[in-house]
Amino acid sequence: MSTALPRRRPGYGQLNDSNPLVPYLYLLPHAIFFFVFVIYPVGYGVYVSLHRWDLLSESRPFVGLEYYRALFDFSTPQAQFFWKSLLNTTFFTVISVPLLVATSLGLALLLNRPILGRAFFRAVFFLPGVLTVSVMGILWRWIFDNQIGLVNAIRTDLFGNQPIPFLTTEGLAWLPIIIGTVWWTIGFNMTLYLAALGNISRSYYEAAEIDGAGTWAKFRFITLPLLAPITLFVTVTTVLASFQLFGQTLVITNGGPSRSTQSVIQFITEEAFTNYQFSSAAAMSFVFGLAMLIFTYLQFKIMARDAKGGS
Amino acid sequence: MKHRMISLTLASLAALTASQAFAQYKGPKVTITYLHGFTGADRPVMEALIKRFNETHPNIVVRGQAQPWTTTWQQLPALVASGRAPDVVVINEDQITGFIARGALSPLSSADLKAAGIDKNRFYKPLFQTADYKGQSYGLPVSSVAYVMFYNKDLMKKVGLDPNKPPQTRAEFLKAAQACTVDKAGKKAGEQGFNPKNLDTWGVSLYNNWVGARAAYAAILQNGSSLVDKNLNAAFNSPQAVEAVQFLVDLVTKYNVARPNSTEEAELAAFSQGKVCMFPSGQWYLDRFEQQKMNFGVAFFPRIGGSKQDAAWGGSSHLTLPKQRPNYDKNKRAAALEFMNWLTLPAQNLTWTETGSLPTMSAVAKDKKFADKPIAGVFSKLSNIYATSGFPWGGQVLVPFDNAWENAYLGKKSVKKALDDGVNDSNKQVAQARKSFQ
Repeated sequence: MSTALPRRRPGYGQLNDSNPLVPYLYLLPHAIFFFVFVIYPVGYGVYVSLHRWDLLSESRPFVGLEYYRALFDFSTPQAQFFWKSLLNTTFFTVISVPLLVATSLGLALLLNRPILGRAFFRAVFFLPGVLTVSVMGILWRWIFDNQIGLVNAIRTDLFGNQPIPFLTTEGLAWLPIIIGTVWWTIGFNMTLYLAALGNISRSYYEAAEIDGAGTWAKFRFITLPLLAPITLFVTVTTVLASFQLFGQTLVITNGGPSRSTQSVIQFITEEAFTNYQFSSAAAMSFVFGLAMLIFTYLQFKIMARDAKGGS
Repeated sequence: MKHRMISLTLASLAALTASQAFAQYKGPKVTITYLHGFTGADRPVMEALIKRFNETHPNIVVRGQAQPWTTTWQQLPALVASGRAPDVVVINEDQITGFIARGALSPLSSADLKAAGIDKNRFYKPLFQTADYKGQSYGLPVSSVAYVMFYNKDLMKKVGLDPNKPPQTRAEFLKAAQACTVDKAGKKAGEQGFNPKNLDTWGVSLYNNWVGARAAYAAILQNGSSLVDKNLNAAFNSPQAVEAVQFLVDLVTKYNVARPNSTEEAELAAFSQGKVCMFPSGQWYLDRFEQQKMNFGVAFFPRIGGSKQDAAWGGSSHLTLPKQRPNYDKNKRAAALEFMNWLTLPAQNLTWTETGSLPTMSAVAKDKKFADKPIAGVFSKLSNIYATSGFPWGGQVLVPFDNAWENAYLGKKSVKKALDDGVNDSNKQVAQARKSFQ
């Protein structure tokens, strides 16, 4: 490499801005962390997934794609539960993301107006986000308990109805998880939207009013398009966060009933640390990671096009 | 303060038993590391015990380290593989066979036990055997919890039952449960016009989670069956197991003496409020009911699964010696064994029961300090407590078993189908696990 360099360049010994090594030295601190905490673990993960691996066993034979193949062979419990949990997680994402994006936008619009107690309400909606997932989980598990939960207490004591077994009925068990998650995380998205709303110049609305635009028209043709970039950001981060569903289902339903609310991450954790099948868990992580990459890529494609077309 | 008083008074007793049992460690001064998961209210008790040991054993220094159990399960393999494992590690019953089978622990040979003066017969037999695998012992029980049956004495008296005679057989149990079950209109279970959907009080708490599944585990053992067969494959769908679990489910569907679709929290609240006569659960709720000043009793889990044997689920923690690098100091091993023996002697075990643990040996259970305590009701049968242990694939058997109970109790599947499906799921995973244990 050094032979290709022009001779008038200063030597590598001098550490000034014209030294060709300088940019790499600037990158070095990050590169070290990147290799130690990203590249190496991922590489090690690939190695683990291709071997029958246990730290304690004497031999760790190479098994090739055996653990990946098992994920596509539906006679194995791994395939059955992995895809079921991936489906569960996707269901959660599909339901929760529109809720989390739309309601946070709605709240931001309301709290962007000069209303009484605006700061108080902003704080109130933001506050649940500071709770840990276990506190939030126990709270919503109690609210929706089959017998003694607040919801059932109101149903039975005030209206004389039979209690609904929310926590142990497939489908219904998602209610506390989804409502709880929206309550818990909505404040963050709302804050992002509030910041973006604050950046929209009043002059657009004034011009539109002169043209006779109503509230809806102003929202439809000014607010929404100008919020497109932040909507893209909020949606992508919310989708990724939703796919990482773990704590909420663990605390509220522990994945039940019959694994109907078990998330992918929870199943991978079970495979690794309850069943001690590390290679199988590693293989699942990569398949899941790949699925998420594809999903995010598609989302970016679609939404970036919309964001461009709309503005 | 209370803890210190007790350990002080017991110190002399400990010295007595120790000196008569064996010769103490005589080697050069060594420091050993001791890793355990007693991080809650039990932590100060364990730390006081370690301090006591260090004071009475001038040539051994024990360095205690408390960290959450799950962290230990994740770290131990790496520590053992790199030859940097702590000298003594506490491992719980659901993990221990897995670690043994994976080669993380070093067996306690009869020579080891003899040299350190450890008499395994002082412990309850099934409790000691929790840490056995393929004829070898791997640990000493230091702490023990169990599934028991709490019962409300006031409520039992109110419905005409003898509050000092908790049921022991299936027939007695059913009779008591039926007597306790009254709907809001005052009609009893089985009476004309009885409405099981609107209960005022009921007989027994059953519920859906893993704790709830321990009632099914006890019932299966009581009926002479087990979770696994002799080849350690899942076998909780034997005819005896199905019969035992069917009776539990019948309590909900046929006899209407237990609520359907209930959760542990709901049943705990119901028992605290005097709504249910019998509440089978972990003995760890004892403190809560005592503080609440409830008029309650504690009985051994009655033989409702069958009449073959007394049985209840138990959890336990065992002192173990991890596998060390080849040039490991022999003195450390001797000192570690000395510490393990001392910590599990009657005097120390009596101190440890302050944390809510059950005695690990009958010598402690006989102590007069328990005489008036409600928990004494189960002490005569502590040797019938069985942990879910002995098979290396704990998760592969227990998770499907807990799911099977949930499906049966919630009425999602018939008992037979729920257990069959569970065994099927389990054995497919056991087959895979076998490959990694080769």
